[in-house]
Amino acid sequence: MKRLLVILFAFALLFGCEQKKDVIKIGVAGPMTGPQAKMGEDFKNAVQLAVEEWNQAGGLLGKKIEIIVGDDQADPKQAVSVANKFVIEGAAGILGHFNSSCSIPASDVYNRAGIPMITPASTNPVLTERGYKNVFRVCGRDDQQGYVAAKFVIDNLRLKKAAVLHDKTTYGQGLADEFKKSLGDAVDVVYYGGVSIGEKDFRTVLTTIKTKRPELLYFGGIYPEAGMLVKQAREIGLDAKFMSGDGAIDPLFIQIAGKASEGAYFTFSPDPEHIPSARSFIEKYKKRFGELGPYSIYAYDAANILFAAIKEANTTDGKIISERLHSMTFSGALGAISFDEKGDVAKSPYIVWTAKDGKFVEFWRP
Amino acid sequence: MFFQQIINGLILGGVYALIALGYTMVYGILQLINFAHGEIYMIGAYMGIIFLAFFTAAGITEQSLALSLLLAFVLSISFTSAYGYTVEKIAYRPLRGAKRLSPLISAIGMSIFLQNYAMLTQGATDKVFPDIMGAAGVDFLGIKITYMQIFIIVVSSAIMVLLHLFIKRTTMGMAMRATAQDKTMASLVGININQVISVTFVIGSALAAVAGIMIAMYYGVVNYFIGYTAGIKAFTAAVLGGIGSIPGAMFGGLILGIVESLGASYISSEYKDAYAFALLIVILLLKPEGLFGGSGEGKV
Repeated sequence: MKRLLVILFAFALLFGCEQKKDVIKIGVAGPMTGPQAKMGEDFKNAVQLAVEEWNQAGGLLGKKIEIIVGDDQADPKQAVSVANKFVIEGAAGILGHFNSSCSIPASDVYNRAGIPMITPASTNPVLTERGYKNVFRVCGRDDQQGYVAAKFVIDNLRLKKAAVLHDKTTYGQGLADEFKKSLGDAVDVVYYGGVSIGEKDFRTVLTTIKTKRPELLYFGGIYPEAGMLVKQAREIGLDAKFMSGDGAIDPLFIQIAGKASEGAYFTFSPDPEHIPSARSFIEKYKKRFGELGPYSIYAYDAANILFAAIKEANTTDGKIISERLHSMTFSGALGAISFDEKGDVAKSPYIVWTAKDGKFVEFWRP
Repeated sequence: MFFQQIINGLILGGVYALIALGYTMVYGILQLINFAHGEIYMIGAYMGIIFLAFFTAAGITEQSLALSLLLAFVLSISFTSAYGYTVEKIAYRPLRGAKRLSPLISAIGMSIFLQNYAMLTQGATDKVFPDIMGAAGVDFLGIKITYMQIFIIVVSSAIMVLLHLFIKRTTMGMAMRATAQDKTMASLVGININQVISVTFVIGSALAAVAGIMIAMYYGVVNYFIGYTAGIKAFTAAVLGGIGSIPGAMFGGLILGIVESLGASYISSEYKDAYAFALLIVILLLKPEGLFGGSGEGKV
């Protein structure tokens, strides 16, 4: 009798697994744990919102959308294993990854499997420069960002000496390099070097930088390091202006740096609050999850674009979805978005922001 | 600039030394590398930030900074020591007779558990603590030292002196030294080995807690991940000085901090972490037992 029960139970388990076929699986990958977990959480929340809206409206191709979350911990090795997992589980499309250093190796896996991926935040140029037809991004590129930052330093701040630091990641170093390249001969780069992610003490490198007397400290990296950098720079009496990229623009930057955050500059896209089409998303997001992360709106648009393309394609065949993505123009929360042949957004509007009275405000347009 | 960098290095090194002491004391007695020690330091930092925030909210900090600090230190040390004690009891004591690899794996498991425990209970984002000491300090021959930096140097030196006296002068210290030399022999002469080991973990955790709070105040930021890097660096310091040796851990920490600081400033900041480990390799090649290791003398 007991044995019979066991066998029955085993069969019940088998049948339990069978029923899950009628969903469209979408992979969501980003740093869900680890030092950048907040970015991953913001990202997942926004996708969740889009999925719920589509499912309430009847789903996709007559099926419900189900998200499978992959945690790459901002680690390239994890990203590849997450990517393989998604391929095995039969994801119809991928939203992510977040960090460029993860998106690039993971995109190799998706390309081989022919699954379309849209990243909301990976800005490294390499990602879309390899001729992959299945890779898209709704954010801008570092070369555009570095260029705008350099133009701002030359035209608006009119500085002559700059120190450039990066966090040794694909994103941070890529951004710092583009910035340095765009400065050309107009600005003298008196120091160039890298620091480690997760590091808390930058006084040594800052002390060295201080002796070179730069007027600007540029940092390619993410907010925890950026915040500590500017705070400690002020503590050791280095009062060069501070500038960074989109990865540093997060409320936690201001919390970490405190008063030292005042007057810091960032390149970032325009404020979603100023975009009329974003209003309803912002309201919905705030009601559910509180304050928006810097990439929440990109994640939301990425999700909607992917779902719309699947609907248009009327199939989950990755190749056809990718073709649709290339040819369509979507009107999302950020406004009209279309992709060029590389998979980049046709126009990327980077502008300069500054931190003022503990808030980020738009400052300068190129 | 040279002296400024030395000061930067001393502060880093002082903190490494405090954590390294925990590694080295446990190793001296159990021949176990307590990989969860970095996490104990992280818990100490969280406790510090929680209690200081509580006292600041209660208005005690405003009335007396010293009282608030003292209370925060005492409470945080007690809680963190309790964690250290519990970790030993749960993860290591049941494996006392097992092969050497088992407690090591248990330690790594404990480390992962504590990290995730802190992440789930405290959240994944950085906790920011407002400056209570500020950036004020003294200028001395062109070297700027903040009061916070002075505080760290004074507290860590004082603690190391106290620890040294404790080990050398008290009965418990003597029992610890005896246990480190030979556990069986020590138990034969009537030393309660379990008690000695518990005390070792409690002291190690208390030191880690002190390091944790000071770092939380110094940088103003705590997350559940800080124990990892700090743990690895402190472990390096302990091995550098000769694992098992108390003066070794102290000097290993200081040397590591200064080498990192000077290397980053005079060669390149990009390889900051590499200097520490390159130095470690050189020392291990020349003197495999570490700077102060080898003889049973300095061991705990």
